[in-house]
Amino acid sequence: MILADILTGAIRSGTSVMLASQGELVSERAGVINLGTEGSMLGGALGGFAVTVWTGNPWLGALAGGLCGLLIASIHAFLVLSCGANQLATGLTIMFFGMGLTAFFGRDFVSEQIVGFNPVAIPVLSDIPFLGPILFNHDPLTYLSILLVPLLWYLIFRTRLGVILRTAGEREEVLFASGINPKLVRYLAVLAGGFLAGIGGAQLSVAYTHAWVENMTAGRGVVAVALVIFASWKPARAMLGAYLFGAAQALQLTVQQQGYAISPFFLFMVPYLLTLLALLLVERRKSSRTPEALGKVFAGEGSG
Amino acid sequence: MKPHTASLPLSAGSRPSFIRWKKWGKQTLVFVSPFVLYGLFLLAYGVNPLDLYVSMVKTAFGDLYGFGEVLLKATPFVLTGLAAALPAKAGLVNVGGEGQLAIGALFAAWFAVFYLNGFPAWLGIPLMLVAGALGGAVWAGLVAVLKVKGRLNETITSVLLNYVATFTVGFFVHGLLKDPESFNWPFSPEIASSLRLPIVNGTRLHIGFVVALALAVIVWYVLAKTRLGFRIRVLGSNRLAAERAGYNRNKMYFWVLVAAGAIAGIAGMIEIAGIEGRLRATTGANFGYLGFLAAMMAWNHPLRLIVTAFLLGMISVAGNTLEIGSGLPSSSVNILMALVLFFILGSRRWTK
Repeated sequence: MILADILTGAIRSGTSVMLASQGELVSERAGVINLGTEGSMLGGALGGFAVTVWTGNPWLGALAGGLCGLLIASIHAFLVLSCGANQLATGLTIMFFGMGLTAFFGRDFVSEQIVGFNPVAIPVLSDIPFLGPILFNHDPLTYLSILLVPLLWYLIFRTRLGVILRTAGEREEVLFASGINPKLVRYLAVLAGGFLAGIGGAQLSVAYTHAWVENMTAGRGVVAVALVIFASWKPARAMLGAYLFGAAQALQLTVQQQGYAISPFFLFMVPYLLTLLALLLVERRKSSRTPEALGKVFAGEGSG
Repeated sequence: MKPHTASLPLSAGSRPSFIRWKKWGKQTLVFVSPFVLYGLFLLAYGVNPLDLYVSMVKTAFGDLYGFGEVLLKATPFVLTGLAAALPAKAGLVNVGGEGQLAIGALFAAWFAVFYLNGFPAWLGIPLMLVAGALGGAVWAGLVAVLKVKGRLNETITSVLLNYVATFTVGFFVHGLLKDPESFNWPFSPEIASSLRLPIVNGTRLHIGFVVALALAVIVWYVLAKTRLGFRIRVLGSNRLAAERAGYNRNKMYFWVLVAAGAIAGIAGMIEIAGIEGRLRATTGANFGYLGFLAAMMAWNHPLRLIVTAFLLGMISVAGNTLEIGSGLPSSSVNILMALVLFFILGSRRWTK
């Protein structure tokens, strides 16, 4: 029973991180690291929550969350790609910007309540013993996020679009020579990444907690960036990593409910320590292959 | 990058004056624009931005108390800024000032409460400072070991460890270090009054800012004038050259990070001994990130950092005025800080 609780919780609380890490993966495949993912998630969490409060429609909320995430990521794209700013420093500033902006606009929403998204059991499938309730009793955004993973894998590794995306992150001069503007590709990748991170944030506030709390993402965006490295830039592994993070979160809730005398603060740390451990293990195996142009700014002819 | 003046009939360093003016104009524009943008934002909320900016300057330079308040705010920013600027010179991105400060504060408070109670000021305060530095160094040491032994990117690990540090402090102020007379409030007992930093008359300003200034000058001197500093800069600007010259890269990375952590830890100690008098779960929250931004604004130059930290200090104090004066939350000045930084980051290529 406890195991089932933890596994269900792993998916439920891991989904926001998973969406953000899929977005970051797209962005990094095109060669841009975006630590501002944290800011995009916060923006998405607040924007999604606000629109859900105003309209009562969580779908509009999720869409608005995605757009907020995209807007915040557009600052990153502009500064990094058009102004040649340092990627890590810009990302951190955006993280800080997101914290300030959402703290400011969020104070009116702290006590608001919403219905939001709620778990929908899929008929028949959710009746499967043990696995049914774990896998098939979630909110709609979670189902969509699970479908997103194979879709992204297909897009990145099996389509021309994916080749263009990966080339932008490996050998932009090749792309440039074949008449495609690598800067444009990177812009679109960063914006898509921000959109997904924003939806991830909205999932957190509109589907998971049903509330807005200042700085509620608590580093999930940073964890998402770390997970992309852990995942060696592969969507399915990023999903696994995100659910592992979610499991650590769920474990913390379960242990508290069971009344074990472990300080909650140790349990709060577990997800972050687990992320560090995961990074260490993957580095040991040396199987990770970084996109070659990651973090560099294309400065070829005509790139402005 | 230097322009190719060699082929032009100009002696080095004397550009035509209109180019120089243009450069100054651009830099002024970069500095003024975020304030204008934020001013529009304030106008939208019915606050007159000119009132805020005037009161900002008045607070900072109007009287000794206000000037002291700004210095007080700027002190931790200088130190956590150094914790980012020094590794940056070696090519490292340390965003862990936040956690290093927190653990420094924890160590300082722990020693002050349990061991240094009866000590006289001349001995107790330096020991407490060492404890704080040790705490920050240990925390940065984790990042350094992960970097050197585990080959993990220090940016990611230092941010992740910030969260772990915050929870560690939370654990202690809710448990082993909780004040038994606090009626269950999560903070440590107050440290002995002999351990509090001396105060400048007529202000709340303590001598911590002297420590911060001294450390900024020391870091500048080491980086600019010594062989060690030269090696650090070579490592940061040309790794290949550093390898050819036979530098032990890992050893240098390790010690640079540990030194940076120690400086951030001192910031934590100063928060305890200078202002709060006890450890809280929120001690120094966001100071690490703000220091990182101050360092970025100063292009990681230790002396320019003093100026940018002062500027951030002014903006922070203005945040309090804003909250009292117009009911806008003080966190809204974080938006101004981020705007200032966006313009600086984005303008590097343009102002050249």
